Amino acid sequence: MTATTFSGRSFFLASIAAGATIIPRDAFAHASERGHVLLLPTGYYLLGGACAVIASFAILFFIRPAALEAYRAFRVPIARSPERLRFATSALSFCFFVLLVCAGFFGSPDPTHNPLPLTIWTLLWVGLLLAQGLIGNIWHWIDPWYAPCTTVNALFSRSEPKFNKEAASYLPALILFAGFVWFELIYIAPEDPPRLAFVVLAYWLITFVLALIFGHERWTRQGEFLTVFFTMIGRFGVLQPSTDGSGTIELRLPGAAVADAEPLPASGIAFLLANLAAVSFDGFSRTFVWLGSIGINPLEFPGRSVVIVPNTIGLGGAMIAFPIVFAILVRLGESFARTSAPRSVGLLAWSVVPIALAYHFAHYLTAFLVDAQAALIALSDPFARGWDLIGLSHRPLEAGIVMGHEAAWVLWNTIAAAIIAGHVLAVLIAHMLALRLYGDARTATISQLPLAMLMVGYTLLGLWLLSTPSAG
Amino acid sequence: MTKKSALILPSRSISRRDALKGIAAAGALSVAPGFVRYAQAQSSAPIKIGFQAHKTGIGAAYGRWYERTTAAAVKAINAAGGINGRPVEIITEDDGTDPKRGAEVVAKLTNQHQCDIVYGTLFSHVVVASAPVAGELKVPYFVVSEGYHVASGKMNRYCFQPGITDVRSQVTAMAPWVSGNLGKKVTMIYPDYAFGHDHRDYFAPAIKAAGGEVIAQIPIPPTESSFTKYFPQIPAETEVLYHVMVGPAVLTFVKELGEFYGSNKPQLFGFIDSLEAVDINSPGLEFLDGSHFWEGSPRYAQANDSEAMKAYRAAVGIDENGAADGDPKDVSTAAHMFGCWETLYVIKQAMEAAGYQGPADRAKLVEATEAIQGFDEGPEHPQGDKVFDGKLHQVYGHQNISKLEGGKLNVVHRTEIKDGMYEAEGDYTQQAL
Repeated sequence: MTATTFSGRSFFLASIAAGATIIPRDAFAHASERGHVLLLPTGYYLLGGACAVIASFAILFFIRPAALEAYRAFRVPIARSPERLRFATSALSFCFFVLLVCAGFFGSPDPTHNPLPLTIWTLLWVGLLLAQGLIGNIWHWIDPWYAPCTTVNALFSRSEPKFNKEAASYLPALILFAGFVWFELIYIAPEDPPRLAFVVLAYWLITFVLALIFGHERWTRQGEFLTVFFTMIGRFGVLQPSTDGSGTIELRLPGAAVADAEPLPASGIAFLLANLAAVSFDGFSRTFVWLGSIGINPLEFPGRSVVIVPNTIGLGGAMIAFPIVFAILVRLGESFARTSAPRSVGLLAWSVVPIALAYHFAHYLTAFLVDAQAALIALSDPFARGWDLIGLSHRPLEAGIVMGHEAAWVLWNTIAAAIIAGHVLAVLIAHMLALRLYGDARTATISQLPLAMLMVGYTLLGLWLLSTPSAG
Repeated sequence: MTKKSALILPSRSISRRDALKGIAAAGALSVAPGFVRYAQAQSSAPIKIGFQAHKTGIGAAYGRWYERTTAAAVKAINAAGGINGRPVEIITEDDGTDPKRGAEVVAKLTNQHQCDIVYGTLFSHVVVASAPVAGELKVPYFVVSEGYHVASGKMNRYCFQPGITDVRSQVTAMAPWVSGNLGKKVTMIYPDYAFGHDHRDYFAPAIKAAGGEVIAQIPIPPTESSFTKYFPQIPAETEVLYHVMVGPAVLTFVKELGEFYGSNKPQLFGFIDSLEAVDINSPGLEFLDGSHFWEGSPRYAQANDSEAMKAYRAAVGIDENGAADGDPKDVSTAAHMFGCWETLYVIKQAMEAAGYQGPADRAKLVEATEAIQGFDEGPEHPQGDKVFDGKLHQVYGHQNISKLEGGKLNVVHRTEIKDGMYEAEGDYTQQAL
């Protein structure tokens, strides 16, 4: 490949440079932590990961359905769910949200010192999401719309409108979620505090109005994408509400509650797979392979503004392709097993939850370890006025925690383990769901062959994305 | 929209209100020894310096250290009385290391934040996109980029690079020492795009003038991640291998080069840009032991460091290995970030020379900067003395050549300023203000 390969990029840049005629010449493509990973024997990890997923699939064939049923049914009552506290926790969350929005508008314009972008993109979108997956539905308690909606309903003596929970469509949530991931991954300045403050405030207000019109429960089930997604991921956690309606919180095995789920409609399948598609594409969009294919020199990545069009197409393509491929593979498996079940795609889609969780963890872990520190420091002085609210304002940021060979080794092994474990659990859950659908172990296993191959392929893809040369 | 921007201090920020309270307190205690005097200033309002920072995007690793150095310099300047008796306030806006946002940030810092000047840009493509906006708004724009853009004469009257030398000067200055000490027959391996081409185009004539020659040039495609297949192209008679590979595959490049050569290797010469902010003792880099690197400012503390250099390193907070104090894995961008410190002192010098009071004096500030001819080595310029070309808006200085030995980079040669001089290609003073 020669320099002329990148003429497309030069054209874009020349356009942006508003008539400037010289070519920028930087050496600043940082060697970065990926450089250390490139020296690790990552090929063996890919091979080992694929073998582990294949082995787990094979082992399931020999496990009695009763053993899997025991995994699903295991539950230990912990306590009664303190639902009456939900108003208070939601109100506190709402107050925190208001503080954050004010900080976005009036605090530091620097996104690494302003608590709004650090809280939204790090503590919420990474930290809370992972906590949901490990623990359970924490978001239920800190949903910042519940208390305001409840208050308005009480003031005007309104009751929540009734709706048919069985016929719920996730289409509004899907559309809003697509907008959200575009803003996160493609828009040029998702971390800019005032712009983010405007966006999150607008989203809160729109959601608030729609929750009043359609009812808080209905809108957060179908339209408010954060609640929809957090609730889906929260099903993987070990603390789950009992299914008998007694209001008890039970200790379950990881992912067991996912196997209890009801089938999703088409819009729900697309929604659940959309995040996996988005995270996967975000990883892929940084690889030398993608950048080279769109005419971008990865050693002098020109900035987000230059790749808006190809990345929008790539992201959209991934979000459309994922559910289609998934549905085709489920139907293919049914044809192998000479069986079919209604809404099988919608039920088996739940098996993607641990993969989505693992990808999220692997994709964001390095940034989280540094940005979470920055978030806490920023929260200690949210308006950059010299405050020290939580005693962390003077704490130095330890960026070195993710730097160097040793850290790269630890991080790589951690995320590789997470990716492999996520896929093994996905195979397990898919098998439990298939047993529910098709009854006997043989049919379930044969029907799962195409999905199992997908899981193997996706393990390889995930590990490759995390070990291949990438920009930024 | 109001912003509560901050006066930057090393590890934290303090608010403008606090700063002004501090000034009031200083006034009240004006009989006490050692207090900070701002009293002579006609206005005690802060000088507002807009910091166009790469806080996100691919430049973030550099942006963090540029911020840290900026904070240290501003603290030192304010502790010594500020600029013209006024405190300095830094207002940071992230440009995402993106040219479109870069241009927006210059306008925002100027129009919305009412900054006196804009400063601090590193990546060249952001400089190139931002400079026209600075020119249109007639706001002085001080970059710390090392790119050969200001010196090319293709920016404008308001764009300066007074704190760091450009890559053409750096490359040119290396040739005499390489030819005289490492060998005459040089093979160059470089990434096949503009940055690599700069080295190719500037080093080859310079080494020829110094009595050596480039006997082979091996461009590597930017998307390459394995390099073994290129090494057989290196002529056997090569005495010096000049390498400027960058990006995540640098460690792989060095490791594979070591596997190719074993212990029988030519002299290696590279630019620390390849390994800026990377621990030089990382596994895979063993092959570099005994090789030489360009460094703008030395990463490792040197035995003969001046008091000014020691004070600078202490103020920024880097240890003797060039890593963050207390966080030894966080290796700094030492070769470049000194440019922030020195640029801020140039701004101070020029503003004081111009009697700068506010945005109405921006043209006077430009002329005062152009009138500067050089800087003496000292606390304000710890990297060394420099020559400033006021017509070209570019500074020229000493370069360091360091040898990697015992796991450290030790400076073995310091070039003369004239080694990096070249014929100027422009004269910004001919442009209207």
